[in-house]
Amino acid sequence: MRRANRRSSADGEGRAFSTPPRPGLSNTVMELRGVSKHYPGTPPVRALDEVTMSVAEGELVGIVGASGSGKSTLLNIIGTLDRPTSGQVLIEQTPVAELSDAGLAGLRSSRIGFVFQQFHLLEAATAVDNVATGLVYQGVRKGLRRSLAKEALEKVGLGHRLQHKPPKMSGGERQRVAIARAIVGDPAIVLADEPTGNLDSQTSAGIIDLLRRLNQDGSTIIIITHDPGLAASLPRRVTLTDGRVSDDNVSAPVVDEPASDKSPAWIRGTS
Amino acid sequence: MKLKKNRAARRRSSVHRSKLLPGDAVATGTQGLRSRKGRTLLTAIGIAIGIASMVAVLGISSSSKADLIAEIDQLGTNLLQVQAGLDTSGTASKLPKEAPAMVRRIAPVEEASSVSALKAGVQRNQYTDDSNGLDVLATEPQLLSTLEATMASGRFLDAGTAGLPTVVLGAVAAERLGISSPAGAPTVQIAGRTFSVIGILNPTPLSPDIDRAVLIGNEAAGKYLGAEVIPTAIFIRANPTVVEEVRQVLSRTVSPAAPNEVSVSRPSDALEARAQVDQNLQNLLLGLGAVALLVGGVGIANVMIISVLERRGEIGLRRALGATRSHIAVQFILESAGLATLGGVIGTALGAAVTVVYARQQDWLIDIPAQGLAAGIVAALVLGALAGLYPATRAARLDPADAVRPG
Repeated sequence: MRRANRRSSADGEGRAFSTPPRPGLSNTVMELRGVSKHYPGTPPVRALDEVTMSVAEGELVGIVGASGSGKSTLLNIIGTLDRPTSGQVLIEQTPVAELSDAGLAGLRSSRIGFVFQQFHLLEAATAVDNVATGLVYQGVRKGLRRSLAKEALEKVGLGHRLQHKPPKMSGGERQRVAIARAIVGDPAIVLADEPTGNLDSQTSAGIIDLLRRLNQDGSTIIIITHDPGLAASLPRRVTLTDGRVSDDNVSAPVVDEPASDKSPAWIRGTS
Repeated sequence: MKLKKNRAARRRSSVHRSKLLPGDAVATGTQGLRSRKGRTLLTAIGIAIGIASMVAVLGISSSSKADLIAEIDQLGTNLLQVQAGLDTSGTASKLPKEAPAMVRRIAPVEEASSVSALKAGVQRNQYTDDSNGLDVLATEPQLLSTLEATMASGRFLDAGTAGLPTVVLGAVAAERLGISSPAGAPTVQIAGRTFSVIGILNPTPLSPDIDRAVLIGNEAAGKYLGAEVIPTAIFIRANPTVVEEVRQVLSRTVSPAAPNEVSVSRPSDALEARAQVDQNLQNLLLGLGAVALLVGGVGIANVMIISVLERRGEIGLRRALGATRSHIAVQFILESAGLATLGGVIGTALGAAVTVVYARQQDWLIDIPAQGLAAGIVAALVLGALAGLYPATRAARLDPADAVRPG
């Protein structure tokens, strides 16, 4: 898979910058078509305004913007935690508008992995059990859940902390547990919302390295951040300004070889 | 290899559906309880108090009843009592003199003894009055065995003493006269004549009239008091298998001319009735227990609502991980039911313990109805599930995007 270096550019009339939809592209895992989200009020808040973008399999994308630019709303809509006021959201070509609340939950359970700024770990559960929670709503049996959780923890470098509980772990370790939980179900997209927001710079670098490595192994990852420095280190950056995509550029190819050749079978999901 | 195949299979599946295995639902529902042990225990105590009081009320009243029934069984249910009733004009009638002999002729009658109330008062000595509410009854020596009564001290009337100025005191009579033992030859005055006390009876629960009586022999009644001995009551021990049949023929046998003027009773029935009379009190106490239980239920609902507010992040996370609204609702209902069931188990154990301690103190038989214990736990479970309904609905309705938001 090769990706174009530049997806689109701003037009001369100063309209919001957006990537054109890429219908029919088989490896598009997420696509937004003219997505808007308005909140009623006086005046109404236009959190997202006609956002059109897509993310292909194997990409590592940073969505960057100032506070209030609509990043979190965008993440919630991509993650199907929220529905847009207008426009279309497609996850692996499935228009999510057609899905019921339970259908969306089903989609999230198997196709979307979340990493939150506040980790959202169960304090009383061990690392393995926290990661295994990521598979609970897929109906995976406990034994299999735990072995997959162990694999995922080894993958994020926490093979030696399997039985530790979050209060006994550092911030970086907790975020690694949260990342392991996000990838344990082998989702189509991993959404990371300010994953380094609660961490010091050195730990943050480690987390970004980990996400980059997981991406190189084949995971499609979208990172939401307000940190321009972090965004600059990512291969593709989508900049949000006042609910509109103001910039979308790819500075360097992310992967040179198809992910399926490089990544281990574990992450490709094939035997 | 197996893991890989499983992954591949899951990935191929085009329809994504959330699924929570029953075991995982229970584990998820009890996770909150396990991670907040102190709060769990304190909340459960509310329910435990309600359940404990209800179980204790049931257990204590059942133990008391069991004790009374055991006592009745021991006293025997084959004792019948015939008494002169009222005639058609409303005046007290008398039993025929030959009634005791006629009763003894009924085949299943094992034993019969008559007593005759004498119009005489009894005094401790000539300086005291006779307003002590005691009756003087003339009777036969076999009364002791008919009633299956026992002596507290001394001896009962026999063929010899029945014709002498001697008395045997019922338990209450002895107490009222201030005589605790025949030792020292105490005497009482009946109609101005001195009678020696030769024995004191133990209480006779089936015939409380005897407890309040001063008994003298029929012969002595005639000889020293000049009284005509006409039976006022006959105690009958019948064959236990045909008590009802004997009861039915008694009035006609005793008084063929006026069977309506004779009343026949079975004293054990009165005791059995006593076992039922505390039903109202029991209902009242059960009602109080139910109020305590209800308060416990409201406590659980309260704690669950707080729990939902505190755990917005967890709810949001679970929704993000693929939990449906129903999965979240089930989690909180199970948590609430689990909390109440814990209270129910503690409460039942506590109620049973209270019953055991109280029954031991009262020297009763211990009887804790098994269905009462089961009902205690089931009631707690149902109450918990109901108390959890509203908090669970609130949890399920949380907007997942709001719930995962920091703050």
